[in-house]
Amino acid sequence: MTDFNSGTQATVLILFTTLVTLTLLMCVMAGPERDDLANFYTGYLSLTPLKNGLAIAGDYISAATVLSTTGIVALAGYDGYVLAVSTALSLVLLMFLLAEPLRNAGSFTMGDVLARTMPGRAVRIAACVVTLAATLPFLVVQLSGAGSLLTFILDIPHGAGARTICITLVGSLMIVYAAIGGMRGTALIQMIKIVLLLGTSFVVAVLVLNRFDWSPGEVLRAAQQGSGAGPTFLQQGLQLGTSAGERLDFVGLQITVILGVACLPHITMRLYSARDVPAVRRSMSWAVSTVTTFCLLVIIMGTGAAALVGSQYITAADPQGRTSILMLSRVLGGDASSVGATVLYAAVAGVVFITLLSSVAGMTLAAASSLAHDLFAHAAQRGKAEPRTEMAVATWASVGVGTLAIVLATLAQNWNVGVLTTLAICIGASAVAPALTYSLFWRGFTRTGMLATLYGGAGSALILMVFSQAVSGTPAAVFPNADFDLFPMQSAGLVSIPFGYLAGWLGSRRDHRRRAAESRENLRLYEENEPRLLAAAE
Amino acid sequence: MTYADEDWYPPSPPGWQQPGTAPQGHTSRHQPYGRDLWQEPYGYTSRHDAYGHTPRHDPYENYRNGADLAALRSAYRLLRRVSTLTALGSFVVYVVLSCATPDLMGSKIAGELSLGMVLGVLQLVVTFAAVFWYGRSAERSVDPLAQVVREQAGTNSGAAR
Repeated sequence: MTDFNSGTQATVLILFTTLVTLTLLMCVMAGPERDDLANFYTGYLSLTPLKNGLAIAGDYISAATVLSTTGIVALAGYDGYVLAVSTALSLVLLMFLLAEPLRNAGSFTMGDVLARTMPGRAVRIAACVVTLAATLPFLVVQLSGAGSLLTFILDIPHGAGARTICITLVGSLMIVYAAIGGMRGTALIQMIKIVLLLGTSFVVAVLVLNRFDWSPGEVLRAAQQGSGAGPTFLQQGLQLGTSAGERLDFVGLQITVILGVACLPHITMRLYSARDVPAVRRSMSWAVSTVTTFCLLVIIMGTGAAALVGSQYITAADPQGRTSILMLSRVLGGDASSVGATVLYAAVAGVVFITLLSSVAGMTLAAASSLAHDLFAHAAQRGKAEPRTEMAVATWASVGVGTLAIVLATLAQNWNVGVLTTLAICIGASAVAPALTYSLFWRGFTRTGMLATLYGGAGSALILMVFSQAVSGTPAAVFPNADFDLFPMQSAGLVSIPFGYLAGWLGSRRDHRRRAAESRENLRLYEENEPRLLAAAE
Repeated sequence: MTYADEDWYPPSPPGWQQPGTAPQGHTSRHQPYGRDLWQEPYGYTSRHDAYGHTPRHDPYENYRNGADLAALRSAYRLLRRVSTLTALGSFVVYVVLSCATPDLMGSKIAGELSLGMVLGVLQLVVTFAAVFWYGRSAERSVDPLAQVVREQAGTNSGAAR
């Protein structure tokens, strides 16, 4: 498939350099003012709902969504459609259930929300640990994906050295964005990225439909042929299998996605920067509309990739199909030497590149903010840290988190690291989601319950994932030759989500009986905070 | 410390008629009497401290704040439950149906379009309407109540200062 001449590679390289230069410049110019904490953590409080919504959508649609979801649609058809729907509905659920109280309760990080009714260092530390546990795996997936993707786009021979260089390059850029730009800089980049991404995807989708004379039936017929699966392409079961256990696994995975993706800390962090409740509602409306539109486009693009590229070429380039969107743009461009083909391919490659950069920068920033605000300023310094020191710590924390992620991604570049995405989403669904819902809506929630939810949910998700079939025992696993798959599923959510909720409830019940005074204090704090939580009344 | 003697009445048992000489500074800011002031359980008289000092602000306000907060809480809860359960429920039904009855969901209804595909895409399209509906309902049911609670919190903290 890689029959492009050097002219196209040169165009792509020039485009990459231009994009990097422009966004870096904007990051420096938009960087936060020194010693203004609110400015650093929340970016602009004056952002209009449309812009804030675009930034939320930009953070939400990570490179994993763009590349993996398109790949799964192309390879597994119906299962991919369900995944696209659950991805979009997850943000809807965040809007309906959590967005408004979260905005009222939080100021900078998840630790602020959780510690508002239970002051103390233990909760802050737990919040920071869970934030890191959820963002680091996601970060490593995207960075190691960046390695193989850049070598594919630039057509560098697949060697360990080339990929390591690409990972280090993308990782260093990501550190620079996060450390210099802060929330302001990344918000700006996310807005630009989402506009470019929507525009390019729209063009690709239109070209796909145009190729088939705007007939969905024709696209689907060609996709069934191209996938080699025939009618089963449009039935559930290609991704995980069709036995009862595998179907249950599929249901579990989808429920984990719908509960977990939108709760990840780098997305909730954007909500704190809305001006008031109507503003957060309008921001979320824009974000949901954008994400839903994009998911519809993903369905069209993925089906188009199956129809026009064909499964065997897609899996030959990448077994998970992450390069399908790039291959689709090559096929759509027609003659490889024409100007149109070059422009289309360069545009898609550039958008994928900027998506990768911005999503890893956003995650680094979320992890670094939690380290600086929860762990350093509140747990270590007991809230007495100077704003200037806290910001310096946040900057260095982004360097630290970024470096750690680069090292881990380099080490894991030869593994099938897709399982880390599942792990991150499982932790989001079984630790972050229960902790947030309990803390916001249950007045009887206590400290032991909180710690049990956070550590229990994250721990159970981690342990179950390690012993799942995604890590060992199956041909597509991380260690296909090892055999310690004691948990017979691909994702842990079906067990770990109920466990996270149950742990919080049991822990709180125990506190009510054993430490009545402390749980009464938690109740009093909850009630004192309620006007602020519900009405933003100070 | 403000001695608010002149605009504070001792609480009266439920059902008593309020004196007509209501404190001027408060009635103007709040709803007139006759609302369900006394629907709340009776239990706020303990706001006297041991020295017979009057509390810092009007206990009637606590009733009103409590009632308004409760109204806001239940309005939010209703909106949250209806919208969340609808979104989550429809999706769970969709996924379970896809897995339990693949033949039904795979049945072609128009050309190559199968029922499952149509339902999936339909959920995405309905999302736009749902978001619009949520925003409008929240503006109607929640926002006015939140405004009342916010204003009262403002006057309370003003009185305490």
